[in-house]
Amino acid sequence: MDALLAQHLLNWLVLGSIYTLIALGFSLLFGVLDVIHFSHGDVSMAAPFVALAAIQAVAAWAVPLTGTGALLLAILISMAAIGLLGVLLDWLVIRRFRAAPAMMALVATVALGTVIRELIRTLYPQGSNPKPFPAIATDVIRLGDIVVPVFSLIVIAVSVLTVIALFALLNHTPVGVRIRAVAEDRAVARLMAIRPNRIFAVTFFIASAVGAVGAVFFVSHAGVVRFDYGVQLGLIGFSAAVIGGLGSMQGAILGSLLIAGIDMLVQIAVPDGASYRLVFIFLLVIGVLVLKPSGILGKPVFEKV
Amino acid sequence: MLEMERVCTSYGPVPMLRDVSLRVGEGEMVCLLGPNGAGKSTTFNAICGLLPADSGTIRIAGRDVKEAGPERLASLGVGFVPEGRRLFPTLTVRENLRLAFDAARNPGLDFEDRLAKMSALFPRIEERLGQGAGTMSGGEQAMVALARALIGDPRLVVMDEPSLGLSPRLISEYFQIVARIRDEGKAVLLIEQNAETALSIAERGYLLIRGQIAISGASETLLKDDTIRHLYL
Repeated sequence: MDALLAQHLLNWLVLGSIYTLIALGFSLLFGVLDVIHFSHGDVSMAAPFVALAAIQAVAAWAVPLTGTGALLLAILISMAAIGLLGVLLDWLVIRRFRAAPAMMALVATVALGTVIRELIRTLYPQGSNPKPFPAIATDVIRLGDIVVPVFSLIVIAVSVLTVIALFALLNHTPVGVRIRAVAEDRAVARLMAIRPNRIFAVTFFIASAVGAVGAVFFVSHAGVVRFDYGVQLGLIGFSAAVIGGLGSMQGAILGSLLIAGIDMLVQIAVPDGASYRLVFIFLLVIGVLVLKPSGILGKPVFEKV
Repeated sequence: MLEMERVCTSYGPVPMLRDVSLRVGEGEMVCLLGPNGAGKSTTFNAICGLLPADSGTIRIAGRDVKEAGPERLASLGVGFVPEGRRLFPTLTVRENLRLAFDAARNPGLDFEDRLAKMSALFPRIEERLGQGAGTMSGGEQAMVALARALIGDPRLVVMDEPSLGLSPRLISEYFQIVARIRDEGKAVLLIEQNAETALSIAERGYLLIRGQIAISGASETLLKDDTIRHLYL
């Protein structure tokens, strides 16, 4: 029983870590831009497709890398590409809604998500079909009765390191201080010689690149990737950010762990739980929002007129 | 240092400022008075480029504010004290001051050096440096907001209702420091509702009523003016 419990705990942490990488982006973008970037899930989910293409490109150009090395390089390429995609989308679309009511940016990003999804479906070779995604690591470590996949350790370690790096960046670097300044008071930040559009570009790059890692872990965990996986992952990541408190990094982590916890519990305890997991996840979301509309760690939100 | 010439602004269809002209010379201390809703904060926002003027020109150190944009004003030698202080609340006092120092891009200045000068001017700042600006009292925030405007050693300081919400004792302490800034030779535009205090330290003043300059002149003259006496004193 103890071994089983440990196994469940490990899976919980893996799932929570993956959700965290997505939720952080939602929270960061909302905190800095006051925009709910609804296509964040779809932007992130473009990463595995870029990575798959990059693996083939690496093979075609006879770069002396195989297996894990090639995959790692491909993931790094996808992170950079998706980071830049985020910057591009901000510049092309989201920038137009800076002064508009929040609802307009929301609708625009919902539409953007569909555009991204359908573009992947039509432009990627056989884009409608699920694609196998290579495992990042297949080895396991046996600790007595507990089987610990190396992949799980990688996911947890990378997520923890990403969170630490993000906190260090925001709190202890000049650019991080400027990101927070823009988040808190855009107008006064401009008087401090900070150009908000540059800060938004940096923020989009960070959020999207971190989301790319989350999406790659998600599909590597599942073993396949489909063009529409970004919908569910985005919805879960967004919900995690909301119940934790949009704009709060700690909240995004807490929300992700909560949702992953419900996800696990339902699959363990409810008969045929895997079919009902989304029902319970979103009931949790509704419940938290009824009890505390600003999220667990969020500050009260006042709708801007 | 600062010249506004026939500036008109509007919020959407609502006209706010009409043909406002004022100037602040090198090393001069000028106040802009006016009742609530007269357009004082609009004037502040126009000067710092956050609310572009519909017509007319605003120049700071000879540069057109519209062309320069709000991001470049600090490096032209202007420090701002916005209404309500508007420090970045989760940034530490030190980070707040550092941003303003970097924005001024004043070569030959050393941050630690300037920080020591600010601590001398505002004795309570030093012990608060590592604290979140939002956790301080209103009076302390007012001092930090003024230090933020001064840390880059500007030639002009523009203040919007800096004494609002301070206790009478703090107000007099605050304006003693403002007078010292004036004596150092910095140009100051003090936007204030409190006419008596403002006129007692400024050399000249303008009275803004319903978006227009109603009266202007030397402080002694304005103190005797019937409109001002009627409005304030």
